[in-house]
Amino acid sequence: MELTEVRFAGSGGQGLILCARILFRALSLEGKTAARSQGYEPTSRGGFCFSDVVAGDDELDYPLATALDFLLAMDQVGVAPSRSLLKKGALVVADQRLTPQPPTGNVELYRTPLTDQAIALGNIRVANIIGLGLMCGLGGICGKESLAKAIEGETPRNFLDLNLEALEAGFAAVGELEAA
Amino acid sequence: MSGNFEHLHGNHACALAAVAAGCRFFAGYPITPSSEIAERMSKELPKVDGTFIQMEDEMGSLAAVIGASLGGVKAMTATSGPGFSLKQENLGYASLAEVPCVIVNVSRGGPSTGMPTRPAQSDIMQSRWGSHGDHPVIVITPDSVAEIYNETIRAFDLSEKFRVPVVLMFDQVIGHLQETVEVSDARKLKTIERKWAKGDKDGFEPYAATKDAVPPMARPGDGKRAHTTGLTHAESGFPTQDTEIVARNMNRLLSKLEINKKEIEKYECVETGDAEYLIVTIGISARAARRAVKTLRRKGVKAGLFRPITLWPFPEEAFRQAAAGAKAVLVPEMNAGQLVLEIERLGSDDCHVAGLNKIDGEPIVPAEIVAKLEELAR
Amino acid sequence: MSNPATDVSAHEVTPPGDFEIKDYLRLDLMPHFMCPGCGHGIALRALLWAIHELGIEKDNLAIVSGIGCSGRVGAYIDASTFHFTHGRPLAMATGLKLARPDLTVIVISGDGDCLAIGGNHLIHACRRNLDITCLMLNNEVYGMTGGQVSPTTSESMLTTTTTTGNIEPAFDACKLAEAAGAGLVGREVTLQVPTLKNLIRDGITHQGFSFLEVISDCTEIYGRKNDLGESPEMILKQKSDLRPESFGNTADRPFRPNKLETGVLARSDRPEYGVAYRAHAARAKTRGGGK
Repeated sequence: MELTEVRFAGSGGQGLILCARILFRALSLEGKTAARSQGYEPTSRGGFCFSDVVAGDDELDYPLATALDFLLAMDQVGVAPSRSLLKKGALVVADQRLTPQPPTGNVELYRTPLTDQAIALGNIRVANIIGLGLMCGLGGICGKESLAKAIEGETPRNFLDLNLEALEAGFAAVGELEAA
Repeated sequence: MSGNFEHLHGNHACALAAVAAGCRFFAGYPITPSSEIAERMSKELPKVDGTFIQMEDEMGSLAAVIGASLGGVKAMTATSGPGFSLKQENLGYASLAEVPCVIVNVSRGGPSTGMPTRPAQSDIMQSRWGSHGDHPVIVITPDSVAEIYNETIRAFDLSEKFRVPVVLMFDQVIGHLQETVEVSDARKLKTIERKWAKGDKDGFEPYAATKDAVPPMARPGDGKRAHTTGLTHAESGFPTQDTEIVARNMNRLLSKLEINKKEIEKYECVETGDAEYLIVTIGISARAARRAVKTLRRKGVKAGLFRPITLWPFPEEAFRQAAAGAKAVLVPEMNAGQLVLEIERLGSDDCHVAGLNKIDGEPIVPAEIVAKLEELAR
Repeated sequence: MSNPATDVSAHEVTPPGDFEIKDYLRLDLMPHFMCPGCGHGIALRALLWAIHELGIEKDNLAIVSGIGCSGRVGAYIDASTFHFTHGRPLAMATGLKLARPDLTVIVISGDGDCLAIGGNHLIHACRRNLDITCLMLNNEVYGMTGGQVSPTTSESMLTTTTTTGNIEPAFDACKLAEAAGAGLVGREVTLQVPTLKNLIRDGITHQGFSFLEVISDCTEIYGRKNDLGESPEMILKQKSDLRPESFGNTADRPFRPNKLETGVLARSDRPEYGVAYRAHAARAKTRGGGK
């Protein structure tokens, strides 16, 4: 069975688990069978944190990631523990400011100013959603409509518009990156 | 897909299933990685006129649960390693006084404070023998979110039916895993409630022997005015040290699960029919073993998986059957070797039993099982 | 009270009316297990008398106790009785009362059970103010295990673990309970049974957590070890502990360092927890359970 394995990694409090929840829901909406796992350090903010989504067409025997197709690295602390799991040719999106040394070699790397883009949108906290949109747009993990629907289900109503805007911004950045 | 499917986090699935099973009381104490169960219960129970309370400590949590259950209400608590240690005292009480209750242990690395956010499977023996004295206890070990849901309901049913504490134990990975689950319509769900004592107070004996070794239970307000104690007691419920009465009552208590084991035991066999190499494991390690079996089969190795869902009492006969044709049995577990002891005890003399242990806070991955089994097969 | 040594002249003798203790006891368990002269039996009588006067049905009465001599008292009551683990009866009673608000729940504990191993449960039971009445039978010693020092053993007293005299300060359990927020706090001595009965009535009728310290005597172990005399003498000493100034130079010399304050020592009408929880839950239910 072909599996898609995605990791959101960074520092606790960056909304990595939320990103994975949104993707989990979006993939489920598209009829995939998915599993989402998470790991964190015993600190509520800061420290290595990740959430993985593994998806396929059938029942999942092993629900954890073993070979990542995609990695969104929001902070440098997310890189080292994830490096050995990256598949050859995996697509990596890394925040330019907070991930100064992203994984290199045998990966397709996109370094983008996610944090700065989020600040431009008015809230640094949506950097994760921009990254989610960008990675899904680049990798075709799942459709924008499913993600938008999933965001509606997973995020507070008063942040819905901002989150949807961030998703749009992420997808929009695909064109700019590919052009560059 | 028909039915009502939800995308649930393992710990939330446990809470929702408990409510569906009729749990109306939860007492707990915050502890990683089980706190989401308490959090969810605090939200769900008021909706069904149930009661949630955060107690002052782990001992108090199980004490309150036992109090609620003795009051006639289905009750649950949840914890992790350090709290599970503290709960052993009252677990023993529930076991001896035969008070139905469900105790969830979302297991993490130990000993002591260990690794709060990392998974482990190192409470296997504690879950069986953690409380002092010989005592009956049922331990259930689900390996998926859907199974957490279904087995939580079964945990309540077994606890009620056999008047025994049931430990629902899953590692941090499964507890924090999100998967899609078919949830039951609580209104249509057939759940079991303990047998209530009927008839007159005169001649009523709260611990009288019955055919199934499970005495019907008195409830405050029913006129029975029974006595419940953690002291070894006679059929009357009152303490005794009369050797003959003690032996009779303790034997009845300890025979309860053996007599009813067919109903209690549950396991899963994956490709065990012709298996030459059998893997026995639980929880997230069993999920790894599922994939390992597929990989090994593709490579021509006749591998199979025997997974106890009811860990204790261990499904001995089913295991022996699954292992009948096996040249070797591999027991991958996230501890220094616990389940393997039971398998060594049960395995036949000509069957090689090997362990695969990991104690670094990382789950066992399929490739590690494949490699170890290939080594055994060489 | 036929013993001439028991001077009750200072107290009004209250006739027991139609109270018959036998109606509330499990007579088939007699003879009971307490030592001759133990004050716990007097406390038991006062409790049952109060229950009788309040008209509480035995079927709706739940008695929860812990471990130690005090823990064994409950079993003699013809009610639903629960003999729980050491120190945990208040936590167990919390679950029972929340699950079954229709029951009258009374906890019988001791100084070791309630203040040492169960101290945490006590302060939180006080803080929550759930409608439970807790009788702490204070005999200043771990009697059942052979007479070791307890959190209420008076200074300089001898026990099997303080053979040269206790140097640990004793708890004032009532001050502790009051500070922790108990709805009603009271103390009484077994010398004054009708007064004790009335205090227990106050405790049971109070809507909230009532903490009642009963000064009991352990004649066999504590009394013997400290030369406090036989039971009547020990009980009489309670008088000198109440009014130490009047007993300065007699054999009744008080052994407690401070004068015992008795009666209702604190009362507050803050909300009872069970009522508050159910009201709060009902509101949450109509609102849809919050975020």
